[in-house]
Formats: sequence, C-alpha cells, structure tokens
Amino acid sequence: MKLGSNFWSTVKKKYSIYMILVGLFIVCSLANPNFLSVNNLTNISRQLSVTTILALGATLLIISGMLDLSSGSVLALAGVFAVSTYKATGSLLLALTVGILTGIVCNVINAIMVSTFKAPPFIATLAMLTVARGVALLYTKGQNILQLGKFTELGQESIGVIPIPIIFLIAIAILTWYLLNHTRFGRSLYAVGGNEEAAIASGINVHKVKYTAFIINGIFVGIAGVLFMSRVNAGLPNGAINYEFTALTAAIIGGTSFSGGIGTVGGTLAGAFIVGFLDNIMNLNNVDSYMQQIVRGTIIALAVIYDIRSRNRRAKATLVKAEDLGADKQ
Amino acid sequence: MKKKLLSVVSVLLMVALLAGCSSSKPTTPAQSDSSSEKTYKVAYIARAQSDSFAAWLANAVRDEAKKYPNITLEVFDGQANDDKENSMIENAITNKFDLVIVQPNSGESQRPYVEKVVKAGIFAITTNARISGIEGASSVDAQPYEQAAVNARAALTQIPQDAKVVVLKGPSGNFHADERRASWQKEFFDKRPDVKIVGEQIANWNKDEAMKYMEDWVQANDKIDAVIAMNDNMAAGALEVVKDNPKYTKMFAYGVDGTAEALFLIKEGKMTSTCLQNANELAEKMLDASNKLLTGAEKEINTDIGNPLVTKENVDEYIEILKKSGTIK
Repeated sequence: MKLGSNFWSTVKKKYSIYMILVGLFIVCSLANPNFLSVNNLTNISRQLSVTTILALGATLLIISGMLDLSSGSVLALAGVFAVSTYKATGSLLLALTVGILTGIVCNVINAIMVSTFKAPPFIATLAMLTVARGVALLYTKGQNILQLGKFTELGQESIGVIPIPIIFLIAIAILTWYLLNHTRFGRSLYAVGGNEEAAIASGINVHKVKYTAFIINGIFVGIAGVLFMSRVNAGLPNGAINYEFTALTAAIIGGTSFSGGIGTVGGTLAGAFIVGFLDNIMNLNNVDSYMQQIVRGTIIALAVIYDIRSRNRRAKATLVKAEDLGADKQ
Repeated sequence: MKKKLLSVVSVLLMVALLAGCSSSKPTTPAQSDSSSEKTYKVAYIARAQSDSFAAWLANAVRDEAKKYPNITLEVFDGQANDDKENSMIENAITNKFDLVIVQPNSGESQRPYVEKVVKAGIFAITTNARISGIEGASSVDAQPYEQAAVNARAALTQIPQDAKVVVLKGPSGNFHADERRASWQKEFFDKRPDVKIVGEQIANWNKDEAMKYMEDWVQANDKIDAVIAMNDNMAAGALEVVKDNPKYTKMFAYGVDGTAEALFLIKEGKMTSTCLQNANELAEKMLDASNKLLTGAEKEINTDIGNPLVTKENVDEYIEILKKSGTIK
C-alpha cells in the first residue's frame, strides 16, 4: 500500500508537468479540429523554436541561481548585425558567426557584471536589455533592414519535412540536456545554484561556472537572433520585445526554480509547449487579446505557486528525514 | 573605503549635473542679439524612437532642421511612456526652449503639459497625432481616420461578397491605432455586413506578432479573403506567412504608413494598398511652421499632409519619392 502511494507521489512529482502537457493536448484537440493537423503542429513548433532556444539558455542560468532579462534585446542586436553581415557579404555562415559572437560578447559583459562585480543578475541584465536594444536602434536608425534574399532560408525552409528552426531547437535541447546531465559543468551548475557557499567549499570554480553559463546562453541567443530575423524576413531592431519573459515563463512553468539548483530540459520544453498550445488554441478559436493576456498571467501565477508549494513540501520532507535520523542515533 | 567611493561618486555626479545645467543653459537674448541672426532652440519630443515610423519621423525632422541655420534642434525620446514624455515636456519648459514640438504618445495625456508650454509663452506644435483645441498651440498632422478610410473605401468594391477577413490592430489606447480601426468600422464593416471577421488581434504594430497570428488563422480557416492591418509592418507579417501558398495569391491586404517594405510588396502585386504617411513631408511642414512662428511671420498654424492611397498603379511614383528622400537606398 505504502509502496503504491510512494510510487504515485514520485510519478506526480517527477512527471506532473508532462501529464499537464498531455492533458492540455487532448483538451486542445477536442476544442478545435484544426489543432491536430500536421501543419498546425509544425506551425506551433516553428513559432516556439526561437523562444524555446532562449528558454533553454534561461534554464541553465536559473539553475545556477542567475537569470537573463536581456535575451530579447540581445537577440535583436545579434539579428540585425547578422542581417547586415549577410547583406554585405552574402555569406550565411559568416552572418551566423557574427550573430553568435554578438550574443557571446553581450553575455560576457553580463557575466563580468554578475560574477566579477557581484551585481544582482536582475539589475545587470536589465542594464544590458536597455543597452543592447539601444545599440540595435542606433545602428539601424530605428528602421527595418529589408530584402534579405536567401537569408530567409534558415528560418523558413525545411530539411525533409522538418523546418530548419526546429532542427536547431532539437540540437540545442540535446546539447543542453547532455551538458546538464553528463558533464562536470552541469553538476557544478546545480551545485552553485543550490548552495553557492557549499559549492565554493567543495572546490568548484564558481566564477568559471557562471561565465560558462552566460557564454552558452550567449551562443543560444545569437542563434535565436539569426533564426528570428530569417523567419520574419527583415532585420527588425524592434523585434522580439518581451521574448525574455516568454522564455522565463517556459522555464518556470517547466519547473525550473527561481531559487536555483532545480530545473530540467524536459521540463522547460514541456513549459514552452504548454504556453504554445494555449496561445495556439486561443488564436484558433479567436479568443479576445485581453482574455489571452489574463489566461497567460494566470498560468504563470499557478506555476509559481505550485513551485513554491512543492519546495516547501521538499523542505519539510528533508527536515522530517533529518529528525528521524537524529532520533535513530539517540 | 566604501565611504570614499561613495563620496567620489557623489562628487562626479554633482560635476556631471552642473555640467549638464551649464550646457543646457538657454542662449540669452543679449548673446543671440550680438550674433548676426538670432538662433532659436527647438525641442522635438518623439513618442518613441523605437517604433519604426516614429524613428523615421525623428530622423526626417533632424535632417530638415539642418536646412534652417537659425534653428538648433534637440530630439528627445518619450520611450512610448506617457509619464516620461510629460516629464520631457516639463524639462523643455524649464530649459527655456523657444519652441516645443510634441509627438504625443497618447494625446489626452500630453494635453495639460502642452497647455503648460503655451502658458509659459513658448510656441508649441503637436504632430502625429495633433492634440486639437489647445488655444495658442499649432499642429501639423496626418489624419489617422482618413489614412484608413482611403483604404476602406477602395476595399468596399474590392473585397468579395461574404468574404472572411482578419484584422490586425495596433496597441490598445494608441490614438492612431484606435482611429484607424474606428475608420475601418465606419467606412467598411458597417456598410458590408456580409463580411465576416474570422480573426482579430492586437499585434502591437509588429511584424513578428502579426506572423504568429496569421499562421494560426490560416490553420483555423479554410479561406481568408483579406488582411486588414492598421499598419504596414503587420500587413507585411501576414503576407510573409502566405507568400508561397497558392491558395492566397488573390488575397487582399491593406496597411497604412507607406514603408519601403509595403511599397515593394504592392509593386510585386502581393499587397493591395497602403496610405502613405510621409514623414519627410511632415518634417518639412513642421520645420516650416516652426520657422514662421519663431520669426513672427504667423501666430498659429494648423496644417495637414495629404493621405494618398498607394496602389499598384501609382506605386512607382512613391518609390521614387522615398528614393529621393533617402528612405529607400
């Protein structure tokens, strides 16, 4: 009996997010017959690819106790630089490299502020959000860059039946999963986020971990920038406004904890798809814009409350276990 | 150590503030009288330089001001925030500008502050959109209602019977967004009850947001006969989604602004029409009005630019205009 209840509680704890995703998928399928079409599901994945790539970067940072509010703006900056490079040289590879380098440079600056100067990540990346958007607007004089030619292939074409942005997303998700679960860096990220003092005491180079996390985030943001501009067929200095919040929402709904040390790639992907399915079904059924905002906000609030409650439960369980151990010793 | 650092920072801040004060010190009449021609300080307070039309307008105003040696122009960015824009208007009064041009973020919110400008004896011009009814203030504008109406009137005969259409709106509460939508309602939807709106969302003037909505609408509906967008960016976003889909080659698409992208789409036959809101013409009229007011040639000026409908038939003419102004390179 106890084994059974333990099993269910483990399943609930570990897989509840996936159960919600599956439940939502079934509800959406019933709510609109067009939801299940291959085209629609491909659309959702394509729409989600850019923000989910940002969310995977955000997951790495949040696990290590940091966050990045600048990702939307840095994405726009990396994107317009990449577009300009492509227009000047005609080389997609060079454009992608410039986009990635822009992401890395901005995120190294973030890392310097956060890790070296100990600025709170919220403030440091907020500063970068403003600066990066400002540079993008200054560089383009606030105007869209047009006529991108073959640059659009990256964001709009497919290899076989799979759109290229989704291939990038799958590759980045696998890479992030591997980093988190099978490398020393991944274990260090959880350790730093869980308890920084303890991580330092155990010999982890916290500076290196934080810099690496920001640099990887920068690479993801740079790639997302190139895919975004390619998808919209323009260099938009105003593009991707508030994308950082969409990315954070996916990570949080997916169970990544703002207090650090907790988070998974699967959870973030599920979080992103929950938001994506909701947005999609509301658009398919022509739900009013204002109502959509209310629904989205409510979901975030529920996810955060769930996160706090499950953290409290975990803390309680740990306390009980410690007390039991103490009693046994006596 | 911390205290030392704090004092150094405080001193630096003080120096910066003092330097700022001295640099923004207005030219005294004595100083300017001694020069051969009096120069006037003009503040241009933009709604937001991050929105592509507002940025185009701010750049055009900057360029146009260079043609007037008696005018020194300073541009401020209201950052799409009423509170910030209102503070900037107050600062312009404090810094004794001779003329203040305000491109309101939302007209009524800036009204009392523009009234303060007039009360302080400073010339005021409101633009894009005008705040009407302020005694002593001038205005240079395009008419958002008319910009949408020229498209809507053409659509009356273009959009087929029992058509299904989608509507892409600008941010709620924005004067131009609301006026353009109201115009479509009165000039088109009220006269064509057979037309069904199958999707209507706020895409905040953005191409990427419009794309996302259009992708979903294409899935939800077996046909869409027309895209009615309140600006060109959103129309271009919707067209980007269906550009390779043969089902949508006959779809109508309407916008406002006359951006370079829209003009090219019209030329290619993908977009039906737009109304040119010519930032260069607005800037010319604004600086001309400023000059006339400051030199005493006129006391109050209220003028509008035209609202030309751009279609495939006349698009080349407008591409030429934008090329000459350097907007299209």
